[in-house]
Amino acid sequence: MTTTERAAARRERRPGTARGFSWGFVVKLLLMGIVNAFGLTVILSAYRAESWVVLGIMVALLVLVDVIYFTKRALPLKYLAPGLAFLFVFQLFTLGYTGYVAFTNYGSGHSGSMQQAVDAAFIQDEQRVPDSPAYPLTVVERAGELGFAIVVDDEVRAGTALEPLAEIDGAGTGASGAPTEVPGFTVIERAQVLTDPALQEQVVALRVPFSDDPEDGSIRTREGSTGVLYTSSLEWDEDARTITDTETGLVYAADDRGSFVADDGTRLATGWYVNVGFENFVRAFTDAKFAAPLLQVTLWTFAFSILTVLSSFGLGLLFALIFNDPRIRSRKLIRTLFILPYAFPAFMSALLWRGMLNSEFGVVNDLFFFGADINWLGDPILAKLAILWVNLWLSYPYWFLVCTGALQSLSGETLEAAKVDGAGPFRRFRSIILPLLLVSTAPLAIASFAFNFNNFTIIYMLTEGGPSIPGAPNGIGSTDILISAIYAISGVAGGTADYGLASALSIIVFVVIGVISAIAFRQTRKLEEIQ
Amino acid sequence: MSPTTGTRPASNRTSARRARWWAEVGWRYPVALVIIAFAIFPLLYVLSAALNPRGSLAGSSALFSTFAVDNFAALGGTAYWTWFGNTLFIGGVSAVGAVLMGACGAYAFSRFRFRGRRFGLTSLLIIQMFPQTIAFVAVFLMLLAIGEVVPELGINSKLALICVYLGGALGANTFLMYGFFNSVPIEIDESAKIDGATHAQIFWRLIMPLVTPVLAVVALLAFISSFGDFILARLVLTSEENWTLAVGMYQWVSNQLTSRWGLFAAGTVLAAIPVLALFLALQRYIVGGLTSGSVKG
Amino acid sequence: MRKQLGIGALVIASGLVLAGCSAGDGDQSGGGGDGAELVIWTDAEREPAIRAAAEAFEEESGATVTLVQKNFEDLRNDFTAQVPTGEGPDITVGAHDWLGALVTAGVVDTIDLGAAAEEFEQVSLDAFTYDGQLYALPYSLETVALVQNTALVGTEAPATWDEMIQRGVDAGAERPVVINTAGETGDAYTMYGLQTSFGAPVFVQDETGSYTNEVGMSGAPGEAFATWLHENGSAGTGYLSTTIDYDINNELFNSGQAAYTVQGPWAISSFADVDVAVNPIPSAGGETAAPFVGVQGFYLSSQSDNALLANEFLVNYLATEDAQRALYEADPRIPAFSTLAEEVASDPVIAGFLASSQNGVPMPSIPEMGSVWDFWNAAETQIINGADPATTWSSMITELEGSLAG
Repeated sequence: MTTTERAAARRERRPGTARGFSWGFVVKLLLMGIVNAFGLTVILSAYRAESWVVLGIMVALLVLVDVIYFTKRALPLKYLAPGLAFLFVFQLFTLGYTGYVAFTNYGSGHSGSMQQAVDAAFIQDEQRVPDSPAYPLTVVERAGELGFAIVVDDEVRAGTALEPLAEIDGAGTGASGAPTEVPGFTVIERAQVLTDPALQEQVVALRVPFSDDPEDGSIRTREGSTGVLYTSSLEWDEDARTITDTETGLVYAADDRGSFVADDGTRLATGWYVNVGFENFVRAFTDAKFAAPLLQVTLWTFAFSILTVLSSFGLGLLFALIFNDPRIRSRKLIRTLFILPYAFPAFMSALLWRGMLNSEFGVVNDLFFFGADINWLGDPILAKLAILWVNLWLSYPYWFLVCTGALQSLSGETLEAAKVDGAGPFRRFRSIILPLLLVSTAPLAIASFAFNFNNFTIIYMLTEGGPSIPGAPNGIGSTDILISAIYAISGVAGGTADYGLASALSIIVFVVIGVISAIAFRQTRKLEEIQ
Repeated sequence: MSPTTGTRPASNRTSARRARWWAEVGWRYPVALVIIAFAIFPLLYVLSAALNPRGSLAGSSALFSTFAVDNFAALGGTAYWTWFGNTLFIGGVSAVGAVLMGACGAYAFSRFRFRGRRFGLTSLLIIQMFPQTIAFVAVFLMLLAIGEVVPELGINSKLALICVYLGGALGANTFLMYGFFNSVPIEIDESAKIDGATHAQIFWRLIMPLVTPVLAVVALLAFISSFGDFILARLVLTSEENWTLAVGMYQWVSNQLTSRWGLFAAGTVLAAIPVLALFLALQRYIVGGLTSGSVKG
Repeated sequence: MRKQLGIGALVIASGLVLAGCSAGDGDQSGGGGDGAELVIWTDAEREPAIRAAAEAFEEESGATVTLVQKNFEDLRNDFTAQVPTGEGPDITVGAHDWLGALVTAGVVDTIDLGAAAEEFEQVSLDAFTYDGQLYALPYSLETVALVQNTALVGTEAPATWDEMIQRGVDAGAERPVVINTAGETGDAYTMYGLQTSFGAPVFVQDETGSYTNEVGMSGAPGEAFATWLHENGSAGTGYLSTTIDYDINNELFNSGQAAYTVQGPWAISSFADVDVAVNPIPSAGGETAAPFVGVQGFYLSSQSDNALLANEFLVNYLATEDAQRALYEADPRIPAFSTLAEEVASDPVIAGFLASSQNGVPMPSIPEMGSVWDFWNAAETQIINGADPATTWSSMITELEGSLAG
């Protein structure tokens, strides 16, 4: 038995100890009660909403949580469960979904399902018959079939999808001119149609042939009070997955890339997204158009992340060391002023610096460079320096905070001993302070590296990717980092959207960062063991 | 202060002391001034634009050419204060949640030896590195699905945004705390256990008070990070009365054709106040250090 | 023992809370089916106007209209992403150049204006027509024109670019003309009037006025324009500069440092300190300057659950003169509603923009337009910054054609 188990055994024998009806136990019971109640409510609600995935996940989570908190084992999980639950639900899902999209060609022209593409084709094809008047219309119903009753030349005609319009005797019209009484049919009030979504959907889709001749077209209503003649020349064959244009005779077949294509190569505008396997991943490396600019962007991304971490860490540490001395007065004020850049939202500061770095009107050139027209944001190299500088300004307060805190926790004794031994300030720093500091801050540096690797905000706000690389697609520029280049490729900002490719690139970026960080963390483990 | 020898005359002693003060302490003040200038300089422009009724962040180098509080008054005419409240609420709850869950996680990693401990910690850090910039479709779909079941957590819900932020609670902040927890000697735990304390009691009554510095730092960092995020907030919160400051103010300047920089600058100046206030309040904890004697065991 | 007690207490507690919650839920689920709800996306400027039209609609039909405010630049993307999921809005405000992308995404439905179509300017209806179908209800036009400082150069329009420069210099202004180049990003949109005056349209138009896929700015006219850009850029006279972004452009004009600028009606409010006159853009290359005309309107979602209601709102409420007037008053651009347009042309500033738009052409709305802008803007920036015009322009054309083909 370990010490803990022996102690636990001892406790079991003593009455009225922590495992009895102590405050802790009551609180735990109450909290678990609330959690279980919440969980059960969600499960019921999911059942009613028929949301099976949510239901399944909730059931699993609830069972897990109850097991974790009511067994004596799984101690670490008791502390990790809440955080892990949030992580699983809100973080891992996005990861998984992006992974899923990466294997599809989701993007421009492939945004919905095949059924939606078929619907879109019909929408785009259906034409109003030229010079068709707008007939006053009422929705009617007979034996479960919906129909329309319209007024044509002072006579009321009614029909359903299967029966063309036929004149109805003895029908009456109301003040608006639309039929209010149609013998043989039940009139459905417009208000009822408008408030019943299922009914509304059927009415919108209903087409009543005008006569036996299909050339005459069908009546369709757009807002429920007037009917107009429309013709459609498309036919959808669900089994064969083809759309046939009866006018031109072209047959558009569904291909495996998510489009309807005819024999002569013409393609319908709207497609749907399909699984394309690893194509997106391969394209990232092999497509000549992308390869060269992306390589440049990758190199800059690494350079940017490493340099920005080194510079802001160094600067923050330097400031922390200088101002750690207890003899300095008003340290509180000084510290608050130092971290001011951190208190302002990064995007605002970036926009601000953009204005200040303007080569003709910017303050930086005016005040510090004697009015010279240094093109900070237009020259590829200067723009990179500008980004590094602004990010330094933005990030040093974070490191200043962290290092100040870390320096506080260093054992004063070792430092005193070193001083007594005669070690100078630099020696003390190099051999004692820095290694101890690195133990707690090195992993943060790695995390900061990863954060800056994906630091979309500053690039987007300061230079939008910077002076564009001649010949690069999507306007990729010299200060673009991988994430902003991916954003440009994804077409969110306009242009052809290729979410599939962008998602694949995101996954690749993630894998790269993950591997580098994993290796780096392993190195820091050695640092920890030194301590 | 280092002692002076008794044989030197008084004036020499003072000047020597002053020289030493300069060499050891005094020089830091001018350096502080330089650094403060470096930090504040761009922000002076924000202040200047805020006080200028036709404020613009671009173009003129004229600082403080006018002095008017029109922009600040105009803030009242927008939904600014609602956004302010929303931001405080969201930031506050996320910070508290992040601190609690992070501390629990850090405690588990620090104190318990279990299989996959090291791997787990590293994986957490790595998972959080996933670029969320284009994950908006994913987040939207997820919140849609959840919203069908729990309407309070669907699209346009502040709680949903908080939950998304809390998804990132176990990450770098946990690691920061893990390091500090490690510096609290395990002997404290053991002696408490011998006295009959449960792990929960050790955690809440013993360890947490000892690590308040890092709790304060993490609270501040979490608050700032939710404060400045606008990509996720813009996606989740769709109606104007639910917006945070970042989303609302970005709207003022995102459309070039109608940007209201003066208003934006005034809003930013006021928005920085809670962060600074938080920092001032937490300073005591951040720099308190482990001087409470428990370290000596 | 304690554990069992604990679990028992837990079950009871959960049961109680659950009962409470279910009762609450039960009450709520009954009240959902009353009126229908219409969801409309808009941006900050137009919200008050749409709200006014919506209120009249709500009274008459008993439905509720929910306005969701978003950034204008987010509307297109979010609409395309959310409509296929079934949770998008029913109607959204939008620009006509999104049309191609929206049609290929299959997210918009056709609109039938019926008799109301005659009330709108033909160019606005054409802008929203794709493949012969109308997809949106137009409500305003916008274009850029030459805005001049009357104190410096009077109200008369210069006939050519050179004449304009001469007048500006003679008036003693620091810069005869200032044109927004959106900083380093480039703004081919603003430059387009000058480009067409060289006879180099972006795409060739067919006889109906629709754009084909054939790039029209290659060859001699395009090169002539590129050379002209180079001559006026940093390597030449310096009148065109990538240091001028939107805010700086307006500030320079407003402070009287520039005599002329090329801007749209949205910028007039930034020119409060000077008296302005608005005229068509002068020709720089010999032909008439034909700037881009942008049309704004209301799109209808193809996956709307309330298509009948949405159509009713669009065709019978927003397409009426009162609603169009309210929209105009909230966000003054050139109205697409003909009678309104005539009315507001009494204002000389609006008349000037109207005159400019009559020379203008709609922006192409083909789905590939986004990539076109990227290449085009980048090339213009590079040339203005001093790159060789001929090679930069022709390599841009090649990349453009490549991207359109593939």
